[in-house]
Amino acid sequence: MSLEHFQAKPPLRVKKMRRDEEPEAFSGSTEPENASGGRSERLAFLRQKIACEEGISFARISIGGLGANCSFDRMLRGGLRGGALHEIAPGGAGDGAAACGFALALAVRLRAMAPGGRSAIIWIVEDFAAIEGGAPYGPGLALHGVDPAGLILVHTASAKDSLWAMEEALKCRSVAAVIGEIWSLEKIYDLTAARRLALAAQSGGASALMLAAGMAGGADRLASCAHTRFEVFAHGGVFARGSPKGSSKGSSSPDPPLPGLPLPGLPLPGLACWSVRIVKARGGAEGAVSIALLWDHEEGCFRDAFPLHLIADAGDRPGHSADARARPRQTA
Amino acid sequence: MRARGLAKPPDAPLATIAKINGAQKLAALDARGWTLGLRPGMSQPDARAMHPALVCAEADPQAEAEALTHIADWCRRFTPLAALDAPDGIMLDVSGAAHLFGGEASLQADIEARLRAQGFFARTALASTPEAAFALARYGGERPDARILPAALDAAALARRLSDLPLAALRIDPATLKALAEAGLRRIGDILMRPRAPIAARCGAELYARLDGLLGRAKTPISPRFEAPAFMAERRFLDGLVRREDIEASILSLAQNLSRLLARHGEGARRLEVSLFRVDGAVMRFEVGSSRPLREPGVIARLFRERFEAASAANDGEAFDAGYGFDVIRLAALEVERRDEEEADCFDIGKCQGAGANLAAADLADLVDRLGARLGVRRVTRLAFHATHAPEFAVTAAPAAQCAGKDRHIHDINHIKQAALSTRSKAFSEEADFPGLPARPIRLLPRPEPIEAIAGVPDGPPLRFRWRRVLHEVAAFEGPERIAPEWWRRDERALTRDYFRAEDREGRRFWLFREGLFVSETARPRWFMHGLFA
Repeated sequence: MSLEHFQAKPPLRVKKMRRDEEPEAFSGSTEPENASGGRSERLAFLRQKIACEEGISFARISIGGLGANCSFDRMLRGGLRGGALHEIAPGGAGDGAAACGFALALAVRLRAMAPGGRSAIIWIVEDFAAIEGGAPYGPGLALHGVDPAGLILVHTASAKDSLWAMEEALKCRSVAAVIGEIWSLEKIYDLTAARRLALAAQSGGASALMLAAGMAGGADRLASCAHTRFEVFAHGGVFARGSPKGSSKGSSSPDPPLPGLPLPGLPLPGLACWSVRIVKARGGAEGAVSIALLWDHEEGCFRDAFPLHLIADAGDRPGHSADARARPRQTA
Repeated sequence: MRARGLAKPPDAPLATIAKINGAQKLAALDARGWTLGLRPGMSQPDARAMHPALVCAEADPQAEAEALTHIADWCRRFTPLAALDAPDGIMLDVSGAAHLFGGEASLQADIEARLRAQGFFARTALASTPEAAFALARYGGERPDARILPAALDAAALARRLSDLPLAALRIDPATLKALAEAGLRRIGDILMRPRAPIAARCGAELYARLDGLLGRAKTPISPRFEAPAFMAERRFLDGLVRREDIEASILSLAQNLSRLLARHGEGARRLEVSLFRVDGAVMRFEVGSSRPLREPGVIARLFRERFEAASAANDGEAFDAGYGFDVIRLAALEVERRDEEEADCFDIGKCQGAGANLAAADLADLVDRLGARLGVRRVTRLAFHATHAPEFAVTAAPAAQCAGKDRHIHDINHIKQAALSTRSKAFSEEADFPGLPARPIRLLPRPEPIEAIAGVPDGPPLRFRWRRVLHEVAAFEGPERIAPEWWRRDERALTRDYFRAEDREGRRFWLFREGLFVSETARPRWFMHGLFA
């Protein structure tokens, strides 16, 4: 952990973050009068100048909300950062598909918030992951909310190829998000590899989503300079409306008798639902608690699975994202 | 002919022997054997009796054919049109190429000398027709200049020149040859001076077809091993290049030449090939494809760098065995496509309308090409949907490089949504389209995996199942969605599948099916796991 601290937070980076919070702070900076003054002043000036110059690229970086009035946004301080590295790991041995669905959902959100020219999602799948966890299936992806016209699938023979392909794809100007699915990530994913991806994402502007498909429950073992890291569990018990029992609305319609079809009285499965734990979030809240999230594949946004209609303290309340303001939605 | 691992005194003749009609006969000879008067077709004891020093090796037709193919490929350094002329010849179309090597005589000397340096004894001949070249190479005599037939000969001079050659030079079958010899006809001149009809009636039309080809009265094409590329650029080096950096640098400069050539014709390359000719005769070819008509030298060079990188990864860190170096490097555009100038302006200047979108599209196309060059074109794919209900065939992965820029036929997936609404979900939901689990999983297993499932009744939904040794209790399900095999495919073994979407107690969602209708198709339906939902 201490190593990660050294890697992740050089003084320069602290400056950048401040800039994000106060966009006006350095915008009109010029050379101070006594530039040849004390050493610390000189240093501060240089840092400021570098921050300003990097600010040109930083101006493009957007923070996208995950959904209208989603509590997850609040924990991430406004939403998911574009042009950064995010990591996703399944929580348990059977949660690979859930983690994959979550990563795809994030990619869909990142694509929605990316500027016009960025429309492609590149999904890089290692062959072993495709054998073990199933190959990406087009019709299902389309129904999940991923536009098939903008998706490019890349199959790689090894994790090394995957990392190379991710880095190449991140440099491309028309890519919104790159999902890299590597089965045994621990062997190859060191601080250097992660740093390379993060830098490529930062300079290229696309977002990297590293999916550690085979690292069930290993989110805490990962050490990297990723911006955020999620642990995803499948979440049960959220059923479709109109189900005979256990429905969120508590529908009381009697089971209509259907000839020849035995009904065990089980409900219908509902929207994709995950409980997600934020293992790491730079500048956000790292929580030990998982939050249940619904993915509305038709609207392409996240929703709280169990919305609490409480009003947050004024201090904790971030402004709604522009996206959410533009399309006010009725929550279910 | 080259014999490896054969101890041989320096001036002893060498021959390969093969079993022909039950007797060991000489199949081929080296130069020394020819000068000593040995000929193919002699029996081995006879030859041994004449020259006891004769060294014999077993003929290996397959290895010989392979060696001939290699030589043919190597000959592409002289002209792109090289054809095999089995079993022992290679036909080159050097029209318009001879002057690059200082004329026909020096081209001939060059080829013979280079092949001799590689250890092959070769005889070359140059003529206006393939038949004449064949005849002269084999029966044209020892002097090299006697084996060159000037292009400007008129018919009479040509006939005079060729009339001394034996009839075997016509490459007609041995039975005809023997019949003609018995009639006293041994030389081409013997036939030329006689009336055509009687001989044709006895020996068939083939004899005269060959003769017409020989004299240039009929044109016969050669069939080159590879088509001539549309555009190419090449460079020759006195000393072989060994280092990969040097080779990549020369590919870049060749790409600049090729790019000028393509620009002049308004074309862009879709398929490019680099051929590396090694000093000792080996030829290596590397091919890359591009998803848009390509002309930028930097991009072309970059693609080949990725291709070399991939080759070196597959080959223990060595992209190619440079040996003593490569003395010819050729860059060829195998496939070209029209590329409009306005578009090119957008790439260069980026000032016209919609340049940003164009630029982004070109950027994505280049990314697809780079990934394809390194990982293999078939590994970079886009989804192509097909109108079928069979889940495995509803989508295929089409190489992204090939379908970019074309209108891909993407099906509306609503029909899947509608079909998947089972009677169960229709009955339960007041409104028809309630938000539920999508109808298809995001991941499909490479092949359905057998599971043990327990259902309440044989044709009912699963209550619990065991997949990969883990027991799952079904907490919610939807189905069945019945998918029958397509009757027009007439696959007798295919059974109807009842698909269920099931959620277990932990909230994991599975796509599983029961194969076979109870009673009407099978007495014991089997269960399979086919896909996973998000």
